[in-house]
Amino acid sequence: MENILEIRHLVKHFGDHEVLRDISFAVQKGEVICIIGSSGSGKSTLLRCMNFLEQPTGGEILYHGKNAETEWKRTLYHSKVGMVFQSFNLFGNKNVLENCVLGQMQVLKIERREAEARAVAYLEKVGMGAYRLARPSQLSGGQKQRVAIARALCMEPEVLLFDEPTSALDPEMVGEVLGVMQDLARGGMTMLIVTHEMSFARDVASRVLFMDGGVILEDASPSTLFSHPSQPRTQEFLRRVLARQL
Amino acid sequence: MPANIPTTFFAWVSFLLDKYGELFLRGTGVTMLVALTGTVLGFLIGLLVAIVRTIPLPRGVWYRKLPMRIVFFLLNVYIEVFRGTPMIVQSMVIYYGAMQIGFRMPVLGAAIFIVSINTGAYMAEIIRGGIISVDVGQKEACTAIGMTHWQAMTHVILPQAVRNIMPSIGNEFVVNIKDSSVLNVISVGELFFMSKSAAGAYLRYFEVFFITACIYLILTFSVTRLLRLLEKKMDGSRNYTIYGSQSDSQSSIRVQETEEAE
Repeated sequence: MENILEIRHLVKHFGDHEVLRDISFAVQKGEVICIIGSSGSGKSTLLRCMNFLEQPTGGEILYHGKNAETEWKRTLYHSKVGMVFQSFNLFGNKNVLENCVLGQMQVLKIERREAEARAVAYLEKVGMGAYRLARPSQLSGGQKQRVAIARALCMEPEVLLFDEPTSALDPEMVGEVLGVMQDLARGGMTMLIVTHEMSFARDVASRVLFMDGGVILEDASPSTLFSHPSQPRTQEFLRRVLARQL
Repeated sequence: MPANIPTTFFAWVSFLLDKYGELFLRGTGVTMLVALTGTVLGFLIGLLVAIVRTIPLPRGVWYRKLPMRIVFFLLNVYIEVFRGTPMIVQSMVIYYGAMQIGFRMPVLGAAIFIVSINTGAYMAEIIRGGIISVDVGQKEACTAIGMTHWQAMTHVILPQAVRNIMPSIGNEFVVNIKDSSVLNVISVGELFFMSKSAAGAYLRYFEVFFITACIYLILTFSVTRLLRLLEKKMDGSRNYTIYGSQSDSQSSIRVQETEEAE
């Protein structure tokens, strides 16, 4: 299968602090990759570097075999590689529908009528169609995150990056967001998900990456990684996390 | 002295109002014109300066950053100079300075120019504060869907920044209504200047400036109220309508949940 994204020797420093050390992996079409690991292991930084929200210090990111930084127009790359944030980041000055319309009109230069139709379709898909006239401040966390997912989908991206999409949610709202993500995965969407939801990773992911100290320590299918982790660090991490979650 | 000269304070006030009512009105008109256009133009200047100052520096070697650094430096000089000197001094320097190099500014034009450029320096800092007050996540969300710096600014960041600084903008407007009085040093026919002329005729300074004070107070009070109304309008309705949806049968139940949560 074709590699959509390929990360080669990615390095990121914050001053003297080395957050990512030589990360390399590839993302194929239709893969659902969950990235797990303790906080400070570089998971979020990796995702943010892939979307150039952080400037990588070294290495390269290839999108369809071409360097994302030099050979792709930045705004086009952004529209193709979508992002969903931990803190939702819905545009506070716009209602739900406008949140989904803005990028289509500004970046993809789609006309309003068509953009609205597409926005409504994706809002319905995440079960938020009825709230199209609400403002973000009037929604619950789970609803905001579902709108944020619809907003990302409106750009019709090839890959979606999720940066701890459920970490800021009340426990009872986690399910509705994970449900939407599960639907997307079934629909064949290529996704990279930084998450602490181990059962979601086990059930939905096609591949799980375990990160520790700025490197990918283990890269395996969920069944292998969760039942027979090869690295002692992975075993220790899973023991601690799974004991808490179950 | 004529026989109908008033004797009490209130008789003087009504006498002066009667005699110089038109003068007061003209002065009030000029004051409002200068304050309003000065605030609006100052806001636009401040907006431009603040947007330029938030442009990220280009990456790479130092000489690619140099042009932006020079622009930043000049803008800083502008802000420091106009915030760091009194407007009364700025009016003298600009008006008589222009005259000395052979350019005679129309007085009203000079007044608006001075107030705008002075307000611009303050507004630049106020708007910068407003931009900083908007969560960085908003800019990141714009970047993540492919919007440019300019698109993010105009559609997402600035509308929220301006909403946040509305009280400060109103403040500047009120300050301009009052402080335009210093422009009397270059003979702008605003309210203070007109009052001085009116007071001089009968040497009734207390009565005339009592009237003047009342007018200023009425102006600033009404402007404050109007701006408050505008803020309310910007916030939009607290309620929203549920859009009729077939696919989401639970919508009405969920709405109740969120309303309770509020």
